[in-house]
Amino acid sequence: MKRSNIASWSRLGVKLFRSLLPWSGADSRTLESNQNDWKAASSPLLEMKEIHKHFAGVHALKGVKLEVHRGEVHALVGENGAGKSTLMHILAGVYPPDGGVVSFNGHRDIVIENERQAERIGIAIVYQERSLFSSLSVAENIYAARQPVNRWGVIDRSRLLAQAKRILDSLGLALDPKTPLHELSPARQQMIEIAKALSLNAKLLIFDEPTAALTESETSVLFGLIHQLKNQQVGIIYISHRLQEIFHVADRVSVLKDGELQGTFPVSETSPEALVARMVGRELLDGGRPQGPVPDCGPFVLEVFHLSDRYTDEGFRWGLKDISFQVGAGEILALAGLAGAGRTELALSIFGVRPRGAGEIRVHGKSRSIRSPKDAIAAGLGYLPEDRKEAGLFLEMSVANNIAAARLGDFGSWWINDQKVNALALDCIKRLRIATPSLRQPVQHLSGGNQQKVLLSRWLLLNPTVLIVDEPTQGIDVGAKVEVHTLLRQLARGGAAVIVISSELPEVLAIADRILVMREGRINGELKHEEATEEKIMRFATMTREGALCQ
Amino acid sequence: MSVTSMDQSATLLLKPRRPAKSLFFSREMALMALIVFQVIVFSILFPISFPTFANFAAIARNLALDGIMATGMMLMMIGGCFDLSIGGMFSMAGVITGWLMKEAGLPVPLAVVIGLAVAAFGGWMNGLIVAKVKVNALIATLGTMGIFRGLSVLLGGPGISFLPPSFSRLGQAVFLGIQSPVWLMSLVVLLFQYLMARTRFFRQYYYIGSNQRAAYLSGINVPRMQMLAFTLMGLLAGLSGIVFASRIATSVSIAGDGAELRVITAVILGGASLTGGKGTIWGAIIGVAFIALINNVLIISAVSTYWQSIIIGIVLVLAVAMDALLNRQ
Repeated sequence: MKRSNIASWSRLGVKLFRSLLPWSGADSRTLESNQNDWKAASSPLLEMKEIHKHFAGVHALKGVKLEVHRGEVHALVGENGAGKSTLMHILAGVYPPDGGVVSFNGHRDIVIENERQAERIGIAIVYQERSLFSSLSVAENIYAARQPVNRWGVIDRSRLLAQAKRILDSLGLALDPKTPLHELSPARQQMIEIAKALSLNAKLLIFDEPTAALTESETSVLFGLIHQLKNQQVGIIYISHRLQEIFHVADRVSVLKDGELQGTFPVSETSPEALVARMVGRELLDGGRPQGPVPDCGPFVLEVFHLSDRYTDEGFRWGLKDISFQVGAGEILALAGLAGAGRTELALSIFGVRPRGAGEIRVHGKSRSIRSPKDAIAAGLGYLPEDRKEAGLFLEMSVANNIAAARLGDFGSWWINDQKVNALALDCIKRLRIATPSLRQPVQHLSGGNQQKVLLSRWLLLNPTVLIVDEPTQGIDVGAKVEVHTLLRQLARGGAAVIVISSELPEVLAIADRILVMREGRINGELKHEEATEEKIMRFATMTREGALCQ
Repeated sequence: MSVTSMDQSATLLLKPRRPAKSLFFSREMALMALIVFQVIVFSILFPISFPTFANFAAIARNLALDGIMATGMMLMMIGGCFDLSIGGMFSMAGVITGWLMKEAGLPVPLAVVIGLAVAAFGGWMNGLIVAKVKVNALIATLGTMGIFRGLSVLLGGPGISFLPPSFSRLGQAVFLGIQSPVWLMSLVVLLFQYLMARTRFFRQYYYIGSNQRAAYLSGINVPRMQMLAFTLMGLLAGLSGIVFASRIATSVSIAGDGAELRVITAVILGGASLTGGKGTIWGAIIGVAFIALINNVLIISAVSTYWQSIIIGIVLVLAVAMDALLNRQ
């Protein structure tokens, strides 16, 4: 906090003026923490102890402990929803923990209040989803809202370009910093995101799935860079679903499951199989399935042949590639896989929302041309979207109108017969036990579970041949979950084929007769209910097919 | 979830009321009460000039054209869209119809039909740009507003006067003491009120306006419905413009100036929401009546016409602000 007392009045005036400016970057605390570096050299760079976090009744983190040393690459693995992102958000100052101690760089028990403060003390995150401005130049992106300025707050353009160039060079990127960002490939944009984090002089860098959009060669450039950062004594937290990568780049690995730390291991003392085993394994849900092996299902009602996206060969890693599968009448098929594996994309492609590059869809053995949801519904398909509120419900409309939405045609051919609508809606409310005070209740006032039942009613009324449900029990309580599972099982017993997309492995195991595991836009493995375990699913979801099969 | 609440709900459900009506019941009734209040206050303030049959007939005549356009605008806004080009369409349809009968010498019925067809086509173009090309409705209809206005000045100069009597008779006819535009408006309003409230085809607009993506995923052909809404809007704006030209026997190139402000204000007042999914045709007409009454009193009290635009602007902002405040609670 010492400030030179012999500063001239004019300089002080400028400083005062600058401190009032919102873009003023000068902060004494950075200096202070630099001075403290030597004191802290022996203790870990980051120490998180007993971290707890609750969200609306969900205990997302249960006493997590994490230690990262200077110059260490510390990998963090776990299923979707295991708590990795929550933990990193606490470090980034997005929200505070409910309990626990965070020590960083020799400062004990610090509270990171917001993202700016996290940056200031030297924590930077390279986010999975990019936080860049496509119309601005590379240099402006790297120094977004932190551009070097002269004393009057005017951007010093030559300094900005020189600094950006230096960072780009250190990354081995031969790029003109004046290039507009949107001219770069997605992979290059990802590298700019990393450059941005580096420009903060971060002591701890967090990579969240950094290679998701990178090609092989770009990935190796990134690994070279990580090695270089290690030598500069930067601590790195590396989140990835790709286990092979972790064994390539990390020193230690921590496994999270359901918000609990399963352990921290040096990579030399563990294996991908051991990690997968630690990531999974829980008590099972009851899916209402008859005991014993699954009987052979009826004739195939939906067949998909060689479905591909249009742009698969342009290095876009997540496009759907050559997908073929069948579902039989009475069967519940689960699509498992990690977030971004292409499951929702596959459902939207079958349902006519995403344009298909190639492929054929047959319903009841007949080839159907499906180019819109309207076509899909006419062919006997139904789709219950992942995001209830965004894509499913008409929030301000009544329960009855929500139930009737996809079946307007049956209530009198031209005139609406409200009596019929109400009678059918009432029937659904009774059958599915939807708790609502009235048919006219706006659906936004119902609980998540009841909203989901309203959506299910809409599709059940259509008697679909194939119903695709995307994350059907996300954010609803356990009781409603079991009810939804029972309803899906009843629908299948009635002769329909049900495709369930779910990120919850216990749900997949409980409900599915057969499981397709997707990875990077392909179907990477198929498991029958009898042979499926969480471990096998995770192997197919995280490793190449060959890697998952050999053991 | 519990057994008791289910029993309660079952009894509640046994006396069904029409959902659409009850949903917007309060808004329209509140506005009606406000109008009654207006009429009483104005009758006390202007006991000689305001509460006369002649004055009410004049109010009705003045609101008829806006009423026809408000019907279309309400339909659009229920579907979550709007059209700023209606004023331009209003003048263009009038000028084209006038030009066809005066300069091209076409028979009156044919000229009117062509005028309406051009208006519908203009609306269809709006729909094409917004629903298929996916240009933002604000920008698209702002652009076509300029185009329609420019076309009417190009074709009609300042205006085309002395239109044939067989044409002007249409808009000046009186039946049962009420002028023909009022009858026409009543017809349009009744028709669309019925269509919107009772047919499954038009009910799709409530779904689209409420959640466009969910409507699409429920199998509703959203772009086609939007294009139809724009086409109907164009047709109704053109109809108003032609009736206006007929009433004054002149095609005025700057007619319909500020129509979008008046009509959108009326529709918002009448219960439409900018995000869509809400409103009834009744509401639109009550909103138009509310504004027409204010205008009428401004004219009676000899306030400058420039004030009209200011006051309507204030009413629009107040109505939207009220909505925002009420929604927050």
